[in-house]
Amino acid sequence: MTEPSGDTRPRRPVAVPIVALVAVTAVGITALLGGLNEAPDKGPDLLAQGATLDQGRYSTRFVESRVKVEKAETQFDEDKRFVELVFEVTNKGDETSSVGLPPDPAKPEQAWLGESFADSLVAISPKFPKESGPFVYAVNKGDETRQLHPGVTSQVLVRYRLGATERPPDKVTVDVATFEYVPGFEDQRLRWQMIAEEKDDKFFPEVKARVTMPVKAGEGA
Amino acid sequence: MTATQPRSSAVPDRPGRPDRHAGHGRKRGSTLLNACAGLLLAAAAVGLQTFHLSANEASAKVTYKGVKGESVDARRFTVRLDSFVAAKTIQNSDQTIATDNLFLVVTASAKSSLKPYHLGQPELLTTDGKKFDATDRVASPLTLANTWVQPDIWVSGRFFFEVPPSALPGARVVFGLPAEVVVEPFQPEVEVDLGLDEEAARKLAASPQAVYSTVKK
Repeated sequence: MTEPSGDTRPRRPVAVPIVALVAVTAVGITALLGGLNEAPDKGPDLLAQGATLDQGRYSTRFVESRVKVEKAETQFDEDKRFVELVFEVTNKGDETSSVGLPPDPAKPEQAWLGESFADSLVAISPKFPKESGPFVYAVNKGDETRQLHPGVTSQVLVRYRLGATERPPDKVTVDVATFEYVPGFEDQRLRWQMIAEEKDDKFFPEVKARVTMPVKAGEGA
Repeated sequence: MTATQPRSSAVPDRPGRPDRHAGHGRKRGSTLLNACAGLLLAAAAVGLQTFHLSANEASAKVTYKGVKGESVDARRFTVRLDSFVAAKTIQNSDQTIATDNLFLVVTASAKSSLKPYHLGQPELLTTDGKKFDATDRVASPLTLANTWVQPDIWVSGRFFFEVPPSALPGARVVFGLPAEVVVEPFQPEVEVDLGLDEEAARKLAASPQAVYSTVKK
């Protein structure tokens, strides 16, 4: 009677630490081999025309891309053709923001410093020559403005001018980054900043979505 | 440490036992007192943390508050918000601009204390913490920001906001100096309460002027 109970008793206190030890070791080995690291990015979401993206600071609908012709107003003037990207942008922040400007493709290491809407359009392909734009503004009742007021939805245009004989592209692809409201690195104030990732000691915007829009032919294009 | 060393060696190995019985009541009292003092100090330390300014607050401007019609002295300059109207369109000499929201046209007067300044474009603060910049659809030369504000000479002018009607109740207008590249800490600013309660805001939004003309006649 006493023998079996005497045998089983030491086994239980040993079993628990052994299980714990094995578990901890297993987790440790997994961690060492990199199993607990963040899963690698799946890459940007592929979005089409009409899709909506939450950019943190903005909620953006990618309305369309089109060729727009501005008729000459005087006989010395000539018709101008533009490739236009149309966005519907709601400022979700608490402050009026500027519409911004897409970053200079020649300086990709500065792109992540942008804080406004168009700064987040980090790559636009095909690339347009430098002299063709971009021109960025919001349209309010037919009038141009460079402000996006808090809680207000505005139509934002990004346009590139086409040369006299230049053919518009069939489609335009835009890489879009997002923002987060976080303290700065040296300047500890909370502010909207583009979400960036570090590569070789430099920061580059993290591309959240890749939006492809067919370019619609405009009147007279 | 060294001062206590000889004493501990002089006392027997377990000196606590008889002592603990003897001074039980007194010791428990002092332990309780110590605990209370400790808790109080800890609470005070935690309480002090609530006075800690965030980075945003610490770098904020020095705000002088007032109400509509009051001359608010911000030491460097004085601003008085004289009146405001709501409008659906604004007519300039060359164009008319319209809005789905509301234009709020603020008439203000200003003077400075020692040297001339320009005022910057003001901001409109709402009760839910939103900040609207003055609209850029009305060109800056048409606003008071274009006028030199000189010592002891009152000048008067307008500022234009474009805001949704929901921003009006409890709204305040903040006047300051223009934004600069090198930010000066603790710049003064004047915050004026428009004195709009729900009822007054609804009335103002319901009956805006059809046209507000900036053309001087």
